[in-house]
Amino acid sequence: MDGYFQTVITTSLSDQDVWTRRIERWVPGLAIALGVFLAVIPVAATLLRSLTLDGTDGLTLIHYTKLFTDPRAQLAARNTLIIGTSVTLGSALLGFLLAWIVSRTEIPGRRAFELLNLVPFFTSPYVGAMAWQYLTAPNSGLLVYLARNWLGLDLSFLRINSIGGVIWVLVLFYTPFIYLFVIGPMRNLNGALEDAARVHGLGFIDTMRRITIPLLAPALLSGAIVVFVTSAGLFDVPVILATPYAIPTIPALIFESIGYPSDFGRAAALGTMMMLVIVGLILVQKYIIGNRRFETVSGKGYSPRPAKLGPLSHLTCLAIEIFYIGFGAILPLIAVLLVALSPIWKGWFDPNRATLENFRYVLEEFDMTQHAILNSTFLSVLGATLIVALGFLQAYRLQSRQGWLAKTLQPILSMPNGIPGIIFGLGILILLIRTPLYGTYWIILIAYVAHYFPFAMRSIGALLMSLSPELEQSARSCGATWWQTLRMVVIPLSRPGLIATWLMLFIILVRELGSTILLYGQGTETISVAMLLLSEQNFLYVAALAIVQVALLSLAFALLSRNSKSLFQ
Amino acid sequence: MSFKTFTSFLVAGVIAASAAHAQAPALQSQNDAEKARITALVAEAAKEGSLTYWDTVLQPATKNALLPAFIDHYGLPKTFKIEFSEIAPSNMITRLEQEAKAGRATVDVAAIASPIWVAAQARAGALMKYESPEYKNYSMVAEAGLVENGFYAFNGAYVFVPMWDPDKVKVAGDSWKDVLSVLQEGRVSVGNGAASDATIMTYIGLKTAMGKDYVEALAAKKPVFIPKSETIASRVVTGEDMMAFMGMPTRAYQLNQKGANLKYVLPKEGVTLLPQNFFIMANATHPASSKLWFDFILSEKGQKIIVEKEAMISGRNGFTSPIPDYAPAINKLHLVHIDWNKMTPDDLQAARREWMAIFKQ
Repeated sequence: MDGYFQTVITTSLSDQDVWTRRIERWVPGLAIALGVFLAVIPVAATLLRSLTLDGTDGLTLIHYTKLFTDPRAQLAARNTLIIGTSVTLGSALLGFLLAWIVSRTEIPGRRAFELLNLVPFFTSPYVGAMAWQYLTAPNSGLLVYLARNWLGLDLSFLRINSIGGVIWVLVLFYTPFIYLFVIGPMRNLNGALEDAARVHGLGFIDTMRRITIPLLAPALLSGAIVVFVTSAGLFDVPVILATPYAIPTIPALIFESIGYPSDFGRAAALGTMMMLVIVGLILVQKYIIGNRRFETVSGKGYSPRPAKLGPLSHLTCLAIEIFYIGFGAILPLIAVLLVALSPIWKGWFDPNRATLENFRYVLEEFDMTQHAILNSTFLSVLGATLIVALGFLQAYRLQSRQGWLAKTLQPILSMPNGIPGIIFGLGILILLIRTPLYGTYWIILIAYVAHYFPFAMRSIGALLMSLSPELEQSARSCGATWWQTLRMVVIPLSRPGLIATWLMLFIILVRELGSTILLYGQGTETISVAMLLLSEQNFLYVAALAIVQVALLSLAFALLSRNSKSLFQ
Repeated sequence: MSFKTFTSFLVAGVIAASAAHAQAPALQSQNDAEKARITALVAEAAKEGSLTYWDTVLQPATKNALLPAFIDHYGLPKTFKIEFSEIAPSNMITRLEQEAKAGRATVDVAAIASPIWVAAQARAGALMKYESPEYKNYSMVAEAGLVENGFYAFNGAYVFVPMWDPDKVKVAGDSWKDVLSVLQEGRVSVGNGAASDATIMTYIGLKTAMGKDYVEALAAKKPVFIPKSETIASRVVTGEDMMAFMGMPTRAYQLNQKGANLKYVLPKEGVTLLPQNFFIMANATHPASSKLWFDFILSEKGQKIIVEKEAMISGRNGFTSPIPDYAPAINKLHLVHIDWNKMTPDDLQAARREWMAIFKQ
C-alpha cells in the first residue's frame, strides 16, 4: 500500500484543480439523476397503464379489482410466491456453499470448479427446462427410460411437470447468481474476524453462523432479491413445465394478457404488483441490514485462510460440486447435445442416425445466426460495461450519503427490476417508436441499461459496504483527489465484485428476451431472438444453437480467466 | 472504344434487356394495361431492392424457395432481398399494432391466422388497400367470408385435427367420436386456449360441429395444454402423448419426412379452417415490392411452393394440390362454416372464458 500512497501524494498535488472538484460533485450526482429518469419513466408508464381503461377517460382500479377477485390470478400469485421463495432459498444455500467451497477450501480442481459452476448460467432457462423435460418426462424421459429398462426402477415420482419441477430447474439455473454475488466479498473477507471467533471457542458451524454469513449479509440479500424477482418473473420455465398442466403463474398470466385481444392494463397491473413486491423486499433488506457495519476489507493486511477440513468434509465438498455440476450442467447439456445431433427426436438417441444437419442449418442456412451472435456480443459487452459504470457511480454516491434522500432513492431506483421484461419492453416501444432510435441497436441498449442498472447498483452497493471507509479517508487525507482515490483504492479493491457483476450482466443481456422481442428490427436480432424464432420451427435447431452458445461462452470465460490466478481475485 | 463497338454493346444491351422483360413469366399472356402496371411495379421494386415479410407459420426454408422463383417470375435483380421472420402471433400483433398507431412500418407484408384481428386492422385503416388481380382467383373463399377483397387474402390455411402414431394407437373410423373413444386420460394434448386464438377458433368450430357436451367429454380426459404446433407433434413422436387432439398436418408432413410416423384424420362432421390472412401494411416502406410479393404468393406458382413446403391448404379456385394426402383441395374438405367477419374481439374473449371454464385451465 505504501507505493500507492506515494503515487497518490505526488500526483495529487498537481491535479487539484477546480474541474476535479466539479467532476467529483457532478458525475455521481448525474448518474443518480439518470437512474431516476430511467426508472421513473417506465415505472410511471406501467403504473398509468394499470390505472386506465382503453377508450375511457380518467383513472380506474378495475384491473386491480378484477385481479383480486379472480381465483385463477390468486392461485397464480400463490404459485409464483412459492416458486420465488423456494428458488431464492435453494439458490442462496447452494450458491453460498459453492462460493465457499471454491474460495475457502483446498479441494482438488478448485480452479476448474470456479468456471464449471458458471456453466448452467450460460444456458438459457428455456433450454434448461426443455433439457429436463427430455430427461424426466414421465412417458418419454431419457432418465426414466434408462432407469426402467436398465435398472428396473420407476422414476415417475420425479414429476417434472409440477411446481416442484419448476423450482428444481430454476434453482439449478439461478444458483450462479448468488455464487457471483457472494464469491467476491467472500474472497475479500477479513480472516482475522473468523480467527478471533475460533480463538474464543466457536466451532466451524457457529463461526459460519455468527461471523461469516452475517458479514456477507448485504451481498447475500442483494443476490436473493435479484433471484426472487427474476425467478418469479421468468416466463420460459413455467410455460414449458407448468402451464401445459394448468398450473398458472403470474408470468404466464402476463403472457396471456398481451395476446390477442390484448389487455395491457391487466398486464401492467400485474407488473405494478411485482414492483411493489420488490420495493417491499428492499425495505426488508434495509431493515435487516439496519445501521450495522459490514466492513470486511480494511487497511490491515488480513486475508481469509483456507478452512482446515477433514477427509470426510473434503469428500462432502467434492460431492456437492459434483452434484451441482452434474445436474446443473452435464446432464442437461448431454440431453441437449443428443437432441441436437438427432434428425428427429423420438425419446431416445439413435447413434446410427446421428447428424450435424441441425448445426449446419443453424450456422449456415439460417442467415440470422451469425449476425445475431455478433449483435448479442456487441450489445451485451457495451450494455454490461455501461450498466456497471452507472451502477458503480450510483452505489458510490448512495453509500457515501446516508441521508433521507439516499434512503428514499434506493427503492425507487430498484423498481425497474420488478417490471417484467415484456412490459418494460412495451413501455420503451411506446415511448421511442416515433423516434429515429426505433429499429436500431440503441433502443435495445437503452432498454437494457434502464431495466438492469438496479442489478449493478445493488450488487456493487453490497460490495462497497464491505470496504472500510478508513481506506478512502487515508487516501484523501494524503491529498488524493476523488478520481485518484477511486482509481487507486476503491476500484482495485472492488475489482472481484465488479468483474462478477459485469459477468452476471453480460450473461443476463445475452439471454435477455422479454424487452428485445418487442424492440429488435431487421438486422438487430440477438441470440435470444434467433432462439425464439428457431423454436417456432423446431426445437432441434434451438438445441444446436444452445450448444454453440454454451461452447462460445465457456471458451470466452476460459480465455478470460487463463491469465489470472482466479477470475474473481 | 470505337463507335462501332459502342453501338454493338448498346444493341446487345437493349436486346438483353428486352429479352429479360419478354421472358419475365409475369408478363406473359397479360393485356397491355396489366403489362404496363407490372413493368412499372417491377422498375420501382428494383429500386426498393428489398421488402420485409413476417409470417406466423411459413418457415425460412419456404422463403428461401419462394425468393428465387419470385425474382425469376418478375425479372427482378438477383440481389433483391426479402427480410423474413417467422414470429409468434402475440409478438406480431403487438408490434404491428404499435407501429400502426405511431404511423410507422418496419414490416411491409405479414400473414397471421387471426381473421378477427386482421378485419379490425382493415377497418382501422392499418392495412394498405390494394386491388390485386389475383383476387378473382379466390372468389370461392371470398364468398365464404375468409378474405376481404382489396385488403387481405390468405396465403394458405390449416386445420387442427387429431393426430397420432399408428404404431401406438389405433383409431377406427373418421368421426370425432371415434377419436374420443381411444383417448387415454392425461395422454392427450390440446392447444393453449388461454393464449392462442387459433385454439379458440378451433374450439368454436368443434362446439358448432359436435356440441358443448363433446368438448366437456374431451376436457374429462385431462388434456395437457401445449402452445406450439411443433411441440404438440413432437410429443406424439416421442410417445409422451398418445394423441394430439389439435395436431397440424403441416407438422405431420415435415416430421414424417424425417422418419416419424404420424397419421391424422379429417373428421367427417367437419373441421375449422384457419386462414393465414395475408396483407400489406398501410405505411409499407416498399410498396411496389409488397404488391408484387402479394400477387406472387397468391399466384399458382407461389401457392404450389407454399403447399409443397408447408402442406397448407390453398384457397385458390381449382388449385390442384401436389400433396393431397397432407394438403387436400379446399373443396374436398367438410368445413364448419363460421363467419369470422361477424365476430368481434369480445366474442373471441367470451369463447375463451368458456374454454377456460370447461377445461379448468
